[in-house]
Formats: sequence, structure tokens, C-alpha cells
Amino acid sequence: MSTWWTVLCKELLDAFRDRRMVITSLVVMPLAVPLVIAGMSTVGMKRQEEKREAVLELPVIGAEHAPNLVAWLGTHDVSVVAPPQDPDQAVHRQEYEAILRIDDQFAGDWRAGRPAGIEIIFDSSRPLQSGATIARLRGLLSAYAQQVGTLRLIARGIHPSVAQPLRLGERDVATPESRFDLAQQMLPYLLLLLAFIGGMQLAIDATAGERERQSLEPLLATPASREAIISGKILATAAFTLLSVLATLVMYRIAFTLVPTEHMDMSLAVPLDALARLLVVILPVVLLGATVLTALAAFARSYREAQGYLPLLIFLPMLPTLYLMVSPVKTQAWMLAVPFLGQNQLILRILRGEPIAAAEWALNLGAGLIVVALAWWLAARLYHREQLAASG
Amino acid sequence: MIEVRGLRKSFTARGTEIRAVDGVSFAARDGEITGLLGPNGAGKTTTLRMLYTLMRPDAGQVLVDGFDPFERPGHVRRRLGVLPDARGVYKRLTARENIQYFGRLHGIDDAVIDERVERLVAALAMHEFIDRRTEGFSQGQRTKTAIARALVHDPRNVLLDEPTNSLDVMTTRSLRQFLRSLKAEGRCVLFSSHIMQEVAALCDSIVVISHGHVVAHGTPDELRAQTGQHNLEDAFVKVIGSDEGLFA
Repeated sequence: MSTWWTVLCKELLDAFRDRRMVITSLVVMPLAVPLVIAGMSTVGMKRQEEKREAVLELPVIGAEHAPNLVAWLGTHDVSVVAPPQDPDQAVHRQEYEAILRIDDQFAGDWRAGRPAGIEIIFDSSRPLQSGATIARLRGLLSAYAQQVGTLRLIARGIHPSVAQPLRLGERDVATPESRFDLAQQMLPYLLLLLAFIGGMQLAIDATAGERERQSLEPLLATPASREAIISGKILATAAFTLLSVLATLVMYRIAFTLVPTEHMDMSLAVPLDALARLLVVILPVVLLGATVLTALAAFARSYREAQGYLPLLIFLPMLPTLYLMVSPVKTQAWMLAVPFLGQNQLILRILRGEPIAAAEWALNLGAGLIVVALAWWLAARLYHREQLAASG
Repeated sequence: MIEVRGLRKSFTARGTEIRAVDGVSFAARDGEITGLLGPNGAGKTTTLRMLYTLMRPDAGQVLVDGFDPFERPGHVRRRLGVLPDARGVYKRLTARENIQYFGRLHGIDDAVIDERVERLVAALAMHEFIDRRTEGFSQGQRTKTAIARALVHDPRNVLLDEPTNSLDVMTTRSLRQFLRSLKAEGRCVLFSSHIMQEVAALCDSIVVISHGHVVAHGTPDELRAQTGQHNLEDAFVKVIGSDEGLFA
């Protein structure tokens, strides 16, 4: 039996007997990720639906200047209310999402056939809260304007199509799989984060914890080579993390069969073969995480110090997501070789149901494994330091 | 057989160099118990760590059955059973699993391990707790588990760093009995202690270390003769130069 296998088996036995670690890694985390995403998606969808259907309460300043418009709005689910004292402040304080101001000259201009002034007061710095309301209001006003314009042309004996030089049509080529909502954009990040630092408890426990509990010194006095010892510890961490990621993906699949998606032309479920491909993409990140965490635990002087580095590690898988947010560019070959960025791209493509070429797989996995090998070399170097065991 | 010649090791802590071991030489023969006696901080643990390959000496040589630990670390580790100062056991594993793990790391077959575990359980009186998880073990139970773990590969040479530290009287007695049985089997037993009575009760040969130097070396009788003291305790105080730290 090889030494690394002996270490791997012992570390896994030790880990599975740690009930708290098993519950957090294999139950709580796998439940939390899909619940957060499913929850956000459902709440988001409900809110959008409510906004589309609910009666809009709209303060109108100078409603007496345009009684026809106000009446027309009333027949389109808008309930006109009295305006507040200071409309700008009211919008700013989010008392109302939008306020309509009708110009004093409105009636005169209207009768003279001049463009009559009307103003929407809104706050563009809150697109998430009021964006849908403002779009709805603009749509209503332009529908009213077009309706009246058409009637005016007809009254003057001109065909309305004269004022319509373009006939605008739209065709959306998105597939149900590729239509994502905001919440789902978080899935690659959450998966990568879980894959990268999901094994932190085990990795830190297996090196920093072993030293703190004073069992590392006898372990290093055995003929087992340090390379074999870290390989066993890293592989045990990776195996445990992979199990945690797998549990998360399975929970995710189950969670999204519970979200009501009949009304949406959108597919949220992850097919089984996509699940397998996701695991392959994530594998190098799992190995990298296990290796980096082991190196860190060997470098740190104590369990607490090792934990202190975690915020830094949480930030790493976040970088590509941030990069793609500010610069949503088309996938280029070199990106696939960058750790985290490449995996992020491939996860998105798998979830969108896009094909991935063999060369792209090779580039991503090859680059990932080279980085893992470098981290392993570093971890082995740190394990050879005299200070590792002989502290205290 | 363990031979040590001119061993030196220094550490730098906050800019100042500390000479932990400064020219230590002695030999520990097979079939004898050799005691490394010295006050706290005399360099006993550092000396032992260089013997079991955990630290590289700055100068000097160590030979274990004629092998240099840094040229043939595998050979040396297989010939050494080590109870370090750090004797943590895996708390979620049973005592038996702890011992088996180390046996496997030594590359021993499971059947042989099982047989040795039975022998060690009998010799160290571990029946009661051998299949219990080590969490909540008493100090004595933990030390016995650590000793069994250190001896599962049947080493010729046994190194123990302060083996009776914080053990009760009964456990200390049974441990002394066990060390005598290792000696009777012809093994080389080397242990460190800062307790004079401990060393006097067990050792065939005593190496007294103080401030990183060997200040005396010989049988208890030779030490008494060297110092001209009839009482062994007075002899130690005389060679160390003060009684500071000796009974701490």
C-alpha cells in the first residue's frame, strides 16, 4: 500500500468522523447555494410580475391642464393621485418612483397643434427599484402620443404610415438555456468559491491543526516521505471538496425543479451530462484549492493565522466575475488558460448549453493542472522546513 | 547503538543567536538504558530532534547503528522508535487505529501490525481503552498510545523525550517496568528527563547536559566518584553548578 494512500484513507476517516465538518460541508453548504439562487430568482420573478400587473400610483402635477390624458391613463391601470409639495425631494426620498408634471401651457399648445410639454421626474441612480416603472410610464405616454398623432394625420387627410418611415421588428435568437437571470449569474462564482475553499477546514486541520495538537512531529519522524504525506493530505482534501461540490450541484438541480418556470421561456434545470462536465471543469480548481490551502497551513504558524488568510482566498475566484462585470467581452482562447477566468467561462457556456471544443478542454485542463503542479511544489517545499514540526 | 559526536545547533530568535546545543558527544549502547539529564532548556529536546532527523545539526555527526540520519534517513527512521515531546494522538481515531496508521506508514503488513498491537497492548496494559477513540483520554492513556505507536515497527533503538512527564505514580511505575523490558530485549533505550530520581532509578549510563554542553557522563557510581559526593542528587547539583531548574 502506498504511503500517500495510507495518509489519504486516514485523513478521510478522520474527516468523516468530524460530525460538524460533515454537516457544514456536505449538508449546509450544498443546501445554501441553490437555496440562495432559487430564492433570489423566485423573488425577482414575482417582483417583476407584480410590477407589470399592479396599479401604478402616479402623482401628476397640473393634472387639470390635460384632463383627457389623465382620464386615458386611468383606463390603463394608472391611479392618478395629488402631487406632493416638493416633487424632486419626494422622488429623491423614494416616496414615489416617478412623478408626472404637465406644463402650464399644455392646453394652449395642444389646441394649437404644437408639441405640448410633459415631464417625468425620476431618479436614474436607482435603476433596479424604479427602472420598470419608468419604462412602463414612457411606454404609456408614447402610446398615447402615437394614438393622438395618428388621429391628427387622419383628420388632415394624410395616411398615418407617412409618419412611420420604419417598420421595426425584433427577432430574439436566445435559447431557453441561454436566457439567464441575474441570480443565476452568481452560480459560476459560488461553484468556484466552494471548489476553491470548500476544503479549508480539512486542509487547515490536517496540517496546522495536526501541528497544534502535536501529532505532526511523530508523523514526520516516520519513514514516510514528506511528498507522500502532503499528497495524501491534498488528495483527501480534494476528494472531500469534490463530494461537497457534487452535493451542491445535485441540490441545485433539485431546487430548480421546484421553481415555477412554466410562464418563463427559460430553462433553469441542469441536464445530467452538463453536471458531469461541470465536475470536470471544477476538478483543477478543487485540486488547486486543496494544494494552496495545505501550503498555507504549512506556512502559517497556527490554525488561527491560517484562517486569517481566508479573506484573501475568497477574493481570488471573485476576480474573473468582477472582470466580466465591468468588461463583458467575448470569450477568447487565452482566457481559458487563466485560472478561475477560464473555469468561469466554461461553466457559463455549459449552463447555456453551448458546445466546447476538445482543444478548449485541453487548454483549460492543461493550464489548470500546471498551476496545481506549481502549487504542489511550493507546498512540498514548505513541508520540508525545519520550523514546520519543531515549533514550541 | 547511538553515537553522537560534537553536535551543534543554534537558532536565531529576534536577531540574537541562541546556541541550544554546543558540542554534545556521547554513546548509548544496546542493552542499556541511557539517560539524558539536564535542567529545562539545557538542549535535551534539540539533541533528540537531531537524532530522529527532524533537525539538521550545524556541525557534528550522529550515527544510528552506524547510519548517518541525513545520508540514509529512511534507514535511520526504521531503526528508531520515537516518543517526541509532542505526543498528540488523533482524537477521532481509536488508540488501535492510531497505532495501525503509524505501522502502515512504516510499510508493515496489516497482519504483522495486528500481532504487534496485541503484544504492545499486553505489555503496556492497554486492554481497557485500545478500541476507544482517544478524545478524552487521560495523560497516561495518551502516553501509552504514543509509545505503542512509536514501537509498532519493532525498532532496535528507542528514543523517549521526557516519557514520564505529568504521569501519575502508578503509570510511571509501569512505564519504568516497560523500559526495563525493552532493555532486556537487547534494545538501545535513550531517554531524556529533568527529574533526577527518574534517571537514578532506571539508567545504566547517565549523560548530564547543561547549557548545551555535556558536563558529566558515566554510570551512577562513576558520577558519584567523579564529584566526590555520596548522594547522587548532590552530585548532579555539583556538575550543573546550581540547582536551578533541576526540579522544575
